[in-house]
Amino acid sequence: MIEVRNLSKSFNGRPVLQDVDLDIEDNKTLVILGPSGQGKTVLIKILAKLIEPDFGTVSYDGVDIIRLSKRQFKEIQKKMAFVFQANALFDFLDVQDNLSLFLNMHTMLSAQEIEEKVMESIRFVGLDSTVLSKFPEELSGGMGKRVAIARAMILRPEIIFYDEPTAGLDEGNVGKVVELISLLKTEVCATTVIVTHDVDLMFKVSDWVVLLKEGRVVFSGKKEQVTEAMLRDLYATGENNGVQK
Amino acid sequence: MWKQTIEKTGQRLVNFFEAIYEISQLFLSTLKSLTSIWFYRRQVIDQFYVFLVKTLPIAAVIAVFIGLGSMIQGTYQSSTLVPRTLTMNVIFKSIIFEVTPIVLSLVLAGKLGASLAAEIGSMKISEQLEALETLALDPTGFLVMPRVLAGVFMLPIITIFANFIAIFSVFFVSSVISDWISQPEFFDSLQTNLRIFEFYYGNFIKPAVFGLLISLVGSYFGLKTRGGALGVGKASTNAVVVSAILIVFFDYYLARVLL
Repeated sequence: MIEVRNLSKSFNGRPVLQDVDLDIEDNKTLVILGPSGQGKTVLIKILAKLIEPDFGTVSYDGVDIIRLSKRQFKEIQKKMAFVFQANALFDFLDVQDNLSLFLNMHTMLSAQEIEEKVMESIRFVGLDSTVLSKFPEELSGGMGKRVAIARAMILRPEIIFYDEPTAGLDEGNVGKVVELISLLKTEVCATTVIVTHDVDLMFKVSDWVVLLKEGRVVFSGKKEQVTEAMLRDLYATGENNGVQK
Repeated sequence: MWKQTIEKTGQRLVNFFEAIYEISQLFLSTLKSLTSIWFYRRQVIDQFYVFLVKTLPIAAVIAVFIGLGSMIQGTYQSSTLVPRTLTMNVIFKSIIFEVTPIVLSLVLAGKLGASLAAEIGSMKISEQLEALETLALDPTGFLVMPRVLAGVFMLPIITIFANFIAIFSVFFVSSVISDWISQPEFFDSLQTNLRIFEFYYGNFIKPAVFGLLISLVGSYFGLKTRGGALGVGKASTNAVVVSAILIVFFDYYLARVLL
């Protein structure tokens, strides 16, 4: 269970998040929806302790991670995975090394065991072994996203964060990514947090929805409770970057 | 007009000293991350290899011309009243203690410092540094500490290699293809008045300090990169300028303190 209370963050005096309260239940998929520039990415990065907030608490099973040092946070961090908007694959490593980096650094698995796990995760995302020797710049947008998801799943995390997982993908790849998110939830990692501006994605995968507007939570509830009027209001003032309404 | 100029200069000075302070902070956290050296051993070994492979060819080319240039300058400046062994001794010492370490370091500040800043900077803007953190890896331990160690340990090795080539090129020009000085006199001049500390100073102490500066400053500006490709370009330029200033400053300071 993740509890977020009174979270605020500003950059250069401009408030990006204001008094955000959230509860993320175990084994649920939370979708934080809003147009671009509303603080979604900042919020999800604070949840993963990649950005420090100005005020507020983020508690994982009662432990406030904001107060923890990076070193103290490491053990909790190993239970999380993050899929970045632009994938953030390490461009100096090929796909094989991108996937095996965590296992090489943090486990005592043999080279063969690591290779098996790499193969397992690459097959899980629908790719084959030919992709392993490629470098990130050689991958298409959809392939890159799937490798990023494979890197996340290889960690066997308890919580997985997705930052705009469908942004910049064509319809076919969006379908595959949505499928993977659902599959990953049932087979690998039950608790999922997604920030997106994609309304379709929200309806397809969410158990719980939070609407974020100008850094504030304007709605929190089930997707069935989200009305057209709410969405119209949400996107009325924000930048509508290719939102699929 | 004047007010603006003074304000701008003041701001630049503030920025410069702020950068120096933050570089010192990065140095301290790099020292702290040395406790994880075994954990990051693969990255350390990789960087040692990269530093050597990237720099040896350019070091060799520079060293040949350092030797030839110093030889011509030295013989041109010396009068006929000065014994040739003494002139050669001065050339030899100036190459080892000053010219090779500083020229090589300035060139490598341009090559390695800029590439370090660009490499880490592009990782920063594409969220790869944050991706490292999500894999429970410390960017200082994973990226900075191996590069700093490579700078500190590899630059002396590269400098010794460059000094050897520079001296050999002097020997080749002065004793092999010409008879400006005989071969026994040449080797005598190398050993005359040579103190072992001077050898360490020119080949180990100075290059190690310069290597530390190049890698630390390059990493710092990489980590501070903001914006897109423009930010990466700025980071590379700043890394070269600041490390060059620090190299010449420490060249003076080390000489003042140690000699």
